[in-house]
This record gives sequence, structure tokens and C-alpha cells, in this order.
Amino acid sequence: MDARILLVEDDPSIREITAIGLANAGFTVETAADGAAGLERFGAELFDLVLLDVMLPRLDGLEVCRAIRRTSTIPVVMLTARADTIDVVVGLEAGADDYVKKPFEVPELVARVRAALRRAGRGPDDADPLHLGSVAIDLAGRTVTRDGQDVALTRTEFDLLTELTRHVGQVLSRDALLDRIWGYDYLGDSRLVDVAVGRLRAKIEVDPATPTLIVTVRGAGYKAVR
Amino acid sequence: MLRRGGIRARLALTLVAMVALTATLLGTGAYVFVETSLHDQVLRDAATQARFDLSVTVPNRGLPAAPTPEDIVDSGLRETFLQRGVDTIADVGSGEPVVSKPDLVGELANLPPDFTKRVSDGELAYTWTTIAGHPSLVIGGRVGAAGPAFYFIHDISAIDEALGQFRLALTVGTIALILVALLVAQAVARGVLAPVEAASRAAERLEHGDLSARVPITSDDEFGTWADRFNRMAEALAETIGRLEAAEAQNRRFVADVAHELRTPLAALVAEASILREHLDSLPDASRRAGELLVSDIGRLRSLVDDLMEVSRFDAHAEQIAVEPVDLGLLVRAITASHLPEASLVLPDRPLVIDTDPRRLDRILANLLDNAREHAPGASVAVSLATHDAAGEIVVAVTDRGPGVPRDRLARIFERFYKADPSRHGGSSGLGLAIAAEHAALLGGYLTASDLVEGGLRMELRLPVTGSLRHGDGMAIGGEDAIAAPIRHQES
Repeated sequence: MDARILLVEDDPSIREITAIGLANAGFTVETAADGAAGLERFGAELFDLVLLDVMLPRLDGLEVCRAIRRTSTIPVVMLTARADTIDVVVGLEAGADDYVKKPFEVPELVARVRAALRRAGRGPDDADPLHLGSVAIDLAGRTVTRDGQDVALTRTEFDLLTELTRHVGQVLSRDALLDRIWGYDYLGDSRLVDVAVGRLRAKIEVDPATPTLIVTVRGAGYKAVR
Repeated sequence: MLRRGGIRARLALTLVAMVALTATLLGTGAYVFVETSLHDQVLRDAATQARFDLSVTVPNRGLPAAPTPEDIVDSGLRETFLQRGVDTIADVGSGEPVVSKPDLVGELANLPPDFTKRVSDGELAYTWTTIAGHPSLVIGGRVGAAGPAFYFIHDISAIDEALGQFRLALTVGTIALILVALLVAQAVARGVLAPVEAASRAAERLEHGDLSARVPITSDDEFGTWADRFNRMAEALAETIGRLEAAEAQNRRFVADVAHELRTPLAALVAEASILREHLDSLPDASRRAGELLVSDIGRLRSLVDDLMEVSRFDAHAEQIAVEPVDLGLLVRAITASHLPEASLVLPDRPLVIDTDPRRLDRILANLLDNAREHAPGASVAVSLATHDAAGEIVVAVTDRGPGVPRDRLARIFERFYKADPSRHGGSSGLGLAIAAEHAALLGGYLTASDLVEGGLRMELRLPVTGSLRHGDGMAIGGEDAIAAPIRHQES
């Protein structure tokens, strides 16, 4: 695998050892020490994935993520020192696909990077559009419309909606969704799913407070309702 | 509020009792004096008049020596006396007594016998009695030694009526006086004891941690001095506690800062160690062991810093709980499987779902299991989940058959950095159980530790049944059903 990764991290030791670990795993790694430099680097070269520290000098990681999202659907994985729900929410709001909590072990980070790349590399699916209520999912074009209006979904939200719609009427547990959408197993950390479902509902439900398309099954998980 | 036996009540009661006694004595005395004086006056006047009538008025009418009733009637004496408002009964010894009005017929026989006897014996006598329905003074005497007997009847209704009103006035006055005394006594007692109450309120506030509580100094007397002393004591207390709290807060901030500052180099160390670990085999023999130790020590350092961070979050009250329905059986099974897979499990055969924070449960149970693994290495460990109906609690117990903890140290094992066995230097930070206890408190529960007679330690997490027990399928049913559900013990 010779994917190119942009690593934006201000601490020199973490930056260097992470770069070494990723290089050992076969990736090509470019690094930047602050947010502004990272964004500059991103604009100048082509990358397959961006690893972004949240706390960065000059321009913080969330700002960098938002700036990247304005022009690109490249997978972005945040490195966060605080894995509080609020950080996860803010990171996903900014358009990140995943987050890795510091301190991390390099093999764990490599696994998460590979999972994100695998999802991004997933080609367009079968051509038949899926329907959920008034929501139409065009798998080939990876676009979603509600009552004919375009709905802008992130890659993660699109995958989540597709997965639930494919199993309409069937309860999918948080762990199953983590496994299928994010491609790995976080033991006991299902907030990612809850946050992503919340954001998806905000975009496709008529009243996100009383969802009718994607409903919560207490103690079990989520299911799509036709 | 009057408290039975309280100083205020006793003070008030004493004052009222004194007033009541005084008023009653004075009233009774005054009444007796007035009654006696009035009666004496009436008696004196009536006796003087009777003496005069018997020796002058009657003889002057020229009655025969032994007059008949008709003589008396003809003499016009009845009318003479009646003009003065005095009724008479004249007894001549034979025939019917002559009365001044029809009501008096037969009344002679109703007079006390010893009185009429004294009159017939020739004395001038009197009696207080009721004649024809009226309270009266009767004075009797004979004209000469053997003349007719005259009974002069003075109606004293008016006097008695006046006395009755006087009695009523005295009674009402006494009662009013007692009521007024009660009010005054209350007010006086309140006034006297107000400083005591203010002081006890201040002491109560201090007791509840309000260090700004002071006693108002309202007087220059002994109480004022005492209040001043009290306030100085409170001042000193507040100052000392304030100093201690500031020191404590500084300490905690320091711990939080240290933990925070350690995080970045630690993150680098963890990443570095993870790569080093993968290449340990390619290190020369001379440095491989050092590499292994480095990797494992960084692991220890990491858990210490993680625990310190967690503890400082508790100290900063920055912890929030995220409640969701949790199937406890599934959770306990999953946590046990990842932290101590060789432990045996005893779970209820029906799903036990409560609203709680699964991440905190994970932290608590993981810390209990880590503790068991570390302090009872190789010993068998059992994990059980059960409901305790009587206490309304859910009990998750981790029981090991290791060396246990001496009873005198048991109470301290939830303290930070407390090591029940100081000779043991395990990988734990010494904070695990303290952290577990903090999490348990956030969930509304608590941890207990007890030693087993047959050797070993039993740690219990007790959580309140919040009334939200449900079956695992998400269907809400009555909580009691779920609690009362039979619990089948199973080993796995």
C-alpha cells in the first residue's frame, strides 16, 4: 500500500515517531507542524488521507478540517487528547470521519488509517437507487435527495444511511454499525454511532426530535423504518 | 414556638402562675371584704331600727297586753313598716300570724327553728335566709318579755345582685389579667432568650458548613461578651478552613497540571514504545531486556497518568454522566471477558436492564477485576450479578480467593494511593479502587469490601434499582416483575 498521508502534529516527538510507524507500515508520509502549514501542504500536493491533531498552533485542527472539507472528500482522522463526547461531536461536525484518542499505539493508528482508506476506496455501488420514506439514495452517484431536494451528507453519514436502509426493519446494534461503517471494533465506545445518527437525522428527518425514518430501539441499537 | 420544658416555656409559665395567683387572692379578698361590709351595714341599720320599733313604735300603738291578730291588723303597724319597705310577720302566739303581704303566709314555719326559739325566748335575733323566694335579712324580737313577736324582713336582693356583678367583674378581670400576663410573659421570654436563639441559629449554620455565620451583638452584657467570643472563634475557624481549602485546591490544581503536562510526552512515549515492542526481537541481547522493561514501564506510567487525570476530573467536578438503557448481564459478561476471562460468571437468567452510564460501569468493574488480578494472582475469581430485592439494589460482586485484606485495613482500601500490602509493587497506580468508588457514587451507588472467612476478598458494587428495570427486548414492564424474576445461577 503506497497511500500518501499528510500528518499535521505539533509535538516533534509524536510527529516523528508516528511518521516512522506509518512509513514502516508502507505509507508515504508528509508532515506539517502547525495548522496553517498543514493546509498549505494539503493545497500543494495530492494525498489519500489526512491525520490531524486537534490542538494545533496558528490554526487548530478543526479549522483545518473545515477548510479541507470545503474542497475535498478525502478521509480525515482527528488525533484528540480528549475523547469527550463534545470533542467527538465537534470533530464530526467539522467533517472528520474518525478520531483516535491520544495516547495511541502506532499499530492501532495504522489499523484505523487502513480502515478509513478502505472505506474511501469503496467504489460506486450497484446502480439501483434505494428509498427510505421520501429519501432517495443514489448509490452510483453517492448522492441523497429528500422530496427531490439534494441533501449534503458526509461520507460517514452516507454509509450509515445506506447500511441502515439496506437492512430496513432490522435492528442494527451500535457495535455492528461500528464494525460495518467504520471498519473496526471499538470495544464499548459507541458514541461515534450515536453522534453520527444524530447528525444524519438532523439532515433527513422532518422533525429530528421525533425521528420516523431512523428510530432508536432502546438497549439494542437503531433501525430504519420504511 | 413554645417547646415543652424549654426555658422560654418555663419562664412564661412561672410568670403567668404568679400573676394568676396574685389576681385570684386579691380578687377573693376584695370580694369577701365588700360582701362582709355591706351585710354588716344592713344588719346594723336593721337591728337599730328593730330595737327602736319594738321599744317605741309598737308600744305607742296602745295594743292590749295580749293582743289578738285582729288587734295587730287594726293597729296599722303593718302599713307603717311597709312604708319603710320592710315586710313583717307578727306572731301573737295564738291564731294565724299577721303578715304584711300574702306571700308571707306560712313562711314563719320555714324560718330556722333555733332562730324562732331565740326570738320567743325574748332575744333580738337575726338570720340570713330566703323568704318567699328573695334573699332576705330577718330580724325578730318580742315586745316586752311576753308581748307579740315581730319579724322584720329586709329584702337584700339588690345587694346580692350587686355582689354577683362584682363577682363576675372580678372573675373576668382575673382571666383577662392572666391572658395579658401570658402575652407579656411570651414577649419577655422571647426578648430574654432572643440572643440565645440567634446564637443557636448561628451555631447550626456553622455546623452545616456556612462559615460566614455570626451571632449579632445586641447588648453590652455578659451575653454580648459571649457573642463576641463566639464570633471570634467562628472567624478563626473560617480562616483556618479557608487556608486549608485553598491549599487543597492548589494541591489538586497542581496534580491536574502535572497530569496534563505529562500527557504530551507520555503520548510520544506510548507511540515510541509501541514501535519498539514490534522490533524487540531485532535488538541485540544486551539491550533487549531493557527494551522490554521500557515498554512495560511506559504502560505503567500511562495508567498512572490516566488515573491521575481521571481523579483530577472528579476533583474539578467536571464529570457528567450519560445515561442509557444497559443490559447489565451482557455488559458484565463483556467486561469480564476483556479484563479477566478466566473468572467464573454467575448471571441471572433473564436480562436485567437499567438506565445507567455503561462507560462508568465499565470503569468500575474493570478496576475491581484489575484489583483482583493483581492482589490475588492465580486465585480463582468469581463475578456475580444479582438483585437484592429488600434493599432495592443491584449487586455486582467480584470475589477472589486470594490472600484477602486484614480487617483493619479494609476500611481504607478506597483511599487514594492506599496499598493494603505495602510490600507489593504491582502495575497499578493505587488509584483504581478510589476511582471506582467515585464512579459508583456518580451512578448513585457505592462500593463495599469484605473479607471472606474462608480467605479472600469480596468487593461489591451496589446500584439503586431506579424503577426502570426492563426486559432486554426494550419492552417496558413493571419493575417489580423484573426484580422478582427468579434468578438461576449458572457457571461459565
